[in-house]
Amino acid sequence: MIKAKDITKVFGKNTVLKNISTTINQGEVVTVIGPSGSGKSTFLRCLNLLEEPTSGEIFIQDRKINDKKANKLEIRKNIGMVFQHFHLFPHMTVLENVIYAPQKVKNQSKTEAEKIAKDLLAKVGLTDKEDAYPNRLSGGQKQRVAIARALAMEPEIMLFDEPTSALDPEMVKEVLDVMKDLVNTGMTMVIVTHEMNFAKEVADKVLFLDDGVLLEEADPKQFFEKPQTDRARDFLDKVL
Amino acid sequence: MNLDFSQIVPYIPFMLEGIWATLEFVIVSILIGLVLGTLLALCKITKAPLLKGLADVYTSIFRGTPLILQLMIIYFAVPQLTGYDIPAFLSAILAFGLNSAAYVSEIIRAGIMAVDKGQTEAAEALGVPYRPMMFNIILPQAIKNILPALMNEFITLTKESAIVSTIGYLDLMRRAQIVGADIYRNFEPLLVAGAIYWIMIFVLTKVGQAVERRMRQSD
Repeated sequence: MIKAKDITKVFGKNTVLKNISTTINQGEVVTVIGPSGSGKSTFLRCLNLLEEPTSGEIFIQDRKINDKKANKLEIRKNIGMVFQHFHLFPHMTVLENVIYAPQKVKNQSKTEAEKIAKDLLAKVGLTDKEDAYPNRLSGGQKQRVAIARALAMEPEIMLFDEPTSALDPEMVKEVLDVMKDLVNTGMTMVIVTHEMNFAKEVADKVLFLDDGVLLEEADPKQFFEKPQTDRARDFLDKVL
Repeated sequence: MNLDFSQIVPYIPFMLEGIWATLEFVIVSILIGLVLGTLLALCKITKAPLLKGLADVYTSIFRGTPLILQLMIIYFAVPQLTGYDIPAFLSAILAFGLNSAAYVSEIIRAGIMAVDKGQTEAAEALGVPYRPMMFNIILPQAIKNILPALMNEFITLTKESAIVSTIGYLDLMRRAQIVGADIYRNFEPLLVAGAIYWIMIFVLTKVGQAVERRMRQSD
């Protein structure tokens, strides 16, 4: 369970997040939507402390994570993240990308890590790309490798930061399909996305952010059919 | 034209030995420069102001004064200060190694800064600690980008190595001078030395290109 309490984030003179509070339950899939610059990604990045909130508290399984004493590395082991621009390690093959962290961070043996990695690569449909270097892959393939890499750490929570925004349109589906499979495994997922149909389809809950404020937190059906705020109505009119 | 190479023939083995004498301390100096330069580069990118300050001062001093002066200070001034009669070889590797480290640290720092910030974030998000992140993820990518600049530094160092002749170290340059003084002809031994330097740099360049090709494997 993730619990955010009054998260505020200030960059210089910009307040990007304003007192955001929400709770994400075990196994819940939450999509975060809103216009560009609304703070969606910053909010997501606070959840694994890639950004430190300026004030407020974040709890994961009732443990406060934005605390001087908390061990960031320990916390992150449990939270996978997928980035808009993949950020695969370009000097490593696909398989090496996936087995690197489990070996280094969880001290898995190479055989064990490879076994898990091969299973995961099979799940994302990339068994034949094991020995390829990332720049030989299409965007969709890269993102699927990135998902496999994050899953190899066997995290309890997965964060997705606009995972399909950098993809050619015809590759969006292959990545969303992999994510849907993941939804079905009961993984706790927080997904920042511009794919409204996907957001509506998979989400248990939708968060709508605008200008750093959490304007709506609702059931997807309710949110997409009857948004409560003018701002959300306006936004949905433009994107749907 | 007053050229006569026959007179230096007996001196050829003597001059060839200079190749190893030069290579020996150039290689050691490059290694010192690489290791120390990497450490300095890491100091420069930390958030710890003391380490960063020390590394910056170091670079400023070693880049801001002539190499020949650093060499002389180490060779002539150290004995005066400490009473330790420092050998020419040790003086040479210290002067060249410490000097090269300053340049290498700037090259590596620039290389690290040029690696996409997303690489750091991806490693951090996976829970990878700082040290393996640096040595397994960031530095390999940085080195690949800065290889041409590093090669340039090594080439410069190899050629500049000739100034150790000023402290009496029997390198290739010094040997050419000795032969010249022996036979009262300077052109021929200097020409031979020049050719040898050129060949050494040529080989070094080829090695560099081969390494570069290997590292571009993932492209």
